[in-house]
Amino acid sequence: MEFQLLAAGLAIGLGTIGPGIGIGIGFSRAMEAIGRNPDASGTLFVPYILGLALTEAMAIYALVIGLILIFAVG
Amino acid sequence: MVGAVLASLVLLAVTVWLTRRATLVPGRVQALVEFPIEWLAGIVRGTGGKRWAEFAGLVIAIFLFVLVANLIGLLPGVGVVGIVHEGEHGEELLVPVVRAAGADLNFTLGLAIVAFVAFIGWGIRANGIGGYLKELLSAEPAYMTPLLTPIHIISELSRLISLSMRLFGNIFAGEVLLSVMLVLAGLFIPVAFLGFELLVAFVQALVFALLTMTYIVLAIAEHRLHDRGDAHAGYQPEDPEASPAPGSA
Repeated sequence: MEFQLLAAGLAIGLGTIGPGIGIGIGFSRAMEAIGRNPDASGTLFVPYILGLALTEAMAIYALVIGLILIFAVG
Repeated sequence: MVGAVLASLVLLAVTVWLTRRATLVPGRVQALVEFPIEWLAGIVRGTGGKRWAEFAGLVIAIFLFVLVANLIGLLPGVGVVGIVHEGEHGEELLVPVVRAAGADLNFTLGLAIVAFVAFIGWGIRANGIGGYLKELLSAEPAYMTPLLTPIHIISELSRLISLSMRLFGNIFAGEVLLSVMLVLAGLFIPVAFLGFELLVAFVQALVFALLTMTYIVLAIAEHRLHDRGDAHAGYQPEDPEASPAPGSA
């Protein structure tokens, strides 16, 4: 029972490492692009938000696993 | 559930009130309401391809509904005022009268099912049921079919899960974050997080609407895109033949 909580914590903690790095890279590239060409910020916005959402989905899967571990298992 | 009903009531009231007194030259309130609609319609027109007008209504409706529901969840008193019940082990459980709608998986899953049915429906309408099934069940080199068919089906279903869990996770985590910060830091620091949650409420509403739009566009374009061998037809530059914006009509 206690290991279940530990597993849930590890799942969300380790699972957010990758999406964190990914969102950081995406954001830095978006800023770079806007810095080079400020006029493009309007066209960059939608693809940027979508990429952020899709990267974030990985963290959401980790959250799902964590919730399953806490509430659905045992 | 009460939160979602409240959100739709707010939207309905604003719609009825504004359509009664809508003028060609918008006043302040009308401009405030028209601005997000026109802005999102511009985005849908820019990325939605030729048939953008068919699904723009659905996308904008999802955006406004989720946005209003999220913002209602941030009002003071929501999620705090409620009825106290006895729990299983004698502890006190608070059942709030109004909760943030997005913090309930039923709400987000319901919305995601609407989006799911919408993009499968548009896929079938654009390519025919045979075309859609062929796209779903067969792969390009025929010998890859047994491997790729389950992956296709799983990826369609995972859209449903990721759409609903994304909104649920963000709003629920926001609630938890706010209450934890309130306990930890007391008076003024939670205000910063409340501002952050305002941003999250907007971005998540936008993400839900844009992902619905992208899935619909992909479902419509699947067949066409396959013929050209172009894997990234989701973002076409603005189509010169696209029909004019609804605002200019």
